[in-house]
Amino acid sequence: MEGSPVAVDQNFSGAAGDFPALLRSKGLLASAVIPPMPQGGTPHKEWQPTEATTILAFKFSGGVLVAGDRRATAGNTVVYDRADKVLEIDRHSIMAIAGVPATAWEMARVLEHSFQYFRRTQLQEMSVDGKVRALSKLLRDNFGFVMQGVGVVVPIFATYDSHSNPEARLYFYDAMGAQFEAADYAATGSGSPAVRGILYYENNWGAKPLQKLSEEEAISIALRALDTAAESDTATGGVDRGGKIYPLIKVDSREGITTLPESKIAAVFKETVA
Amino acid sequence: MIEEPYRWVEAIANRREYIEAQLAPGSPIAALGYRDGILFLTVGQSRQKIFEIYDRIAVGAIGHPGDIERLRMAVIELASTEGFTRSAADVSLRRLVHYSLSPVMKGAFEQVYGPPYLARMLFAEVGERPGEDLFLRVEYDGEIATNGTTYAQPRQDFAVLSGTRQSGELMEAFLKTRHAQDATFEAAVNSALDAWSIGHMSLQSSDANQLPERAAVLKYRQEQLVHRGIEAALLERDASRAIRFRSLSDTELRSLIHD
Repeated sequence: MEGSPVAVDQNFSGAAGDFPALLRSKGLLASAVIPPMPQGGTPHKEWQPTEATTILAFKFSGGVLVAGDRRATAGNTVVYDRADKVLEIDRHSIMAIAGVPATAWEMARVLEHSFQYFRRTQLQEMSVDGKVRALSKLLRDNFGFVMQGVGVVVPIFATYDSHSNPEARLYFYDAMGAQFEAADYAATGSGSPAVRGILYYENNWGAKPLQKLSEEEAISIALRALDTAAESDTATGGVDRGGKIYPLIKVDSREGITTLPESKIAAVFKETVA
Repeated sequence: MIEEPYRWVEAIANRREYIEAQLAPGSPIAALGYRDGILFLTVGQSRQKIFEIYDRIAVGAIGHPGDIERLRMAVIELASTEGFTRSAADVSLRRLVHYSLSPVMKGAFEQVYGPPYLARMLFAEVGERPGEDLFLRVEYDGEIATNGTTYAQPRQDFAVLSGTRQSGELMEAFLKTRHAQDATFEAAVNSALDAWSIGHMSLQSSDANQLPERAAVLKYRQEQLVHRGIEAALLERDASRAIRFRSLSDTELRSLIHD
């Protein structure tokens, strides 16, 4: 069967259900070599955190809310004001990205296909832990690019565990692929210090803890937080009042993912933020 | 000795006879295109026979489980890499089967020193409209049968897979009279169950070459469903979701069965 377009061999990668491994075997997944360390042990060139955006996520009464601003920048230039940084990976999983869009979107694509591929070949859904780990592996494999100063991605991963004990799960990562489960909230990107402060404050001393918020209250806090981040961080779009561009907000609940319509976000914005 | 042409032909004929005998007891599978999608249905006891391949593609198969697995994995692998490098819209069942699967199966079948694939597979791809549904049946020797218009037959909105040719032909003869492309889900479930019963009855008594009486079919169906489970899956036509495949449970189908 030489030269046949389909390779049906005994060691097919399908048995392991590992889609990135399949892509690598076909040369479809780029990988970077980590540059050698200079003499003396420490790298002389430190990579700059360039994840210029603001992404936030927190658990509320209706599941997990994930919000991201819409600005894409290159250096100090705004290149796009309708970027979509909150991506649906499957019916219950959201990946929100801060970092280099090309790498991040590619990662989201690999991840999306990985989950489907696993389910189709193994005839069972990948576990939440498996999904969280899959993203971690992609980040680690990408670290060569990060060390070269290109391709840093720092995502947030939100999913709804529909197994035995249904609950919303929220994870954040570092650029090397370490995963951390967030109890209440997570934020990433250049505007995240401000957002983290707001969410910490709201969760501890606000009107009520984040987990008790209704959907309207949750939207309101997400908008206020992004607006605050945009106040001091030029790379964060916040709410464009003139152009009527609102952040992208998705809610992950037991029923699946819903993208909140712009009209609803606009109404909450007018009422409680503007 | 196999180098002599007639020996090769003889070897192939033996091999065909052997594979046909192996596949003969395979429980039939019916795939019916109806108003809201494509329904795959079979009645069985243990092993899963209907599988998701890609967003709009599913397969039902009979044969050796090892061979079915290898072919299924290979097709999923191809569809997934195609969907990843291009787009889900570029994954086409016609290309998968004609360019990739069929040549491989033919090659394996005709290389008399290697093992052939003991499998017969029925693929379906759901279209935007019922008239665009595609069904392809692939034999162990790579031969392909489609539901499209040919000199021998008009376009069909269904396809069947069974252990013997006669069983399959009886199922098709039944569905030709009973099934329409705008059928409801409930009607499709009942037609598919009847078709399965007719196909399975034919496997039990090889001399029957006429469609059995309606009462006999209903009685047989009832008897079989006492101790066997229904395995079924849908490819939904609803374009608002990318992934159209959905498994159906035995219990949600039993309430729809009527005489």
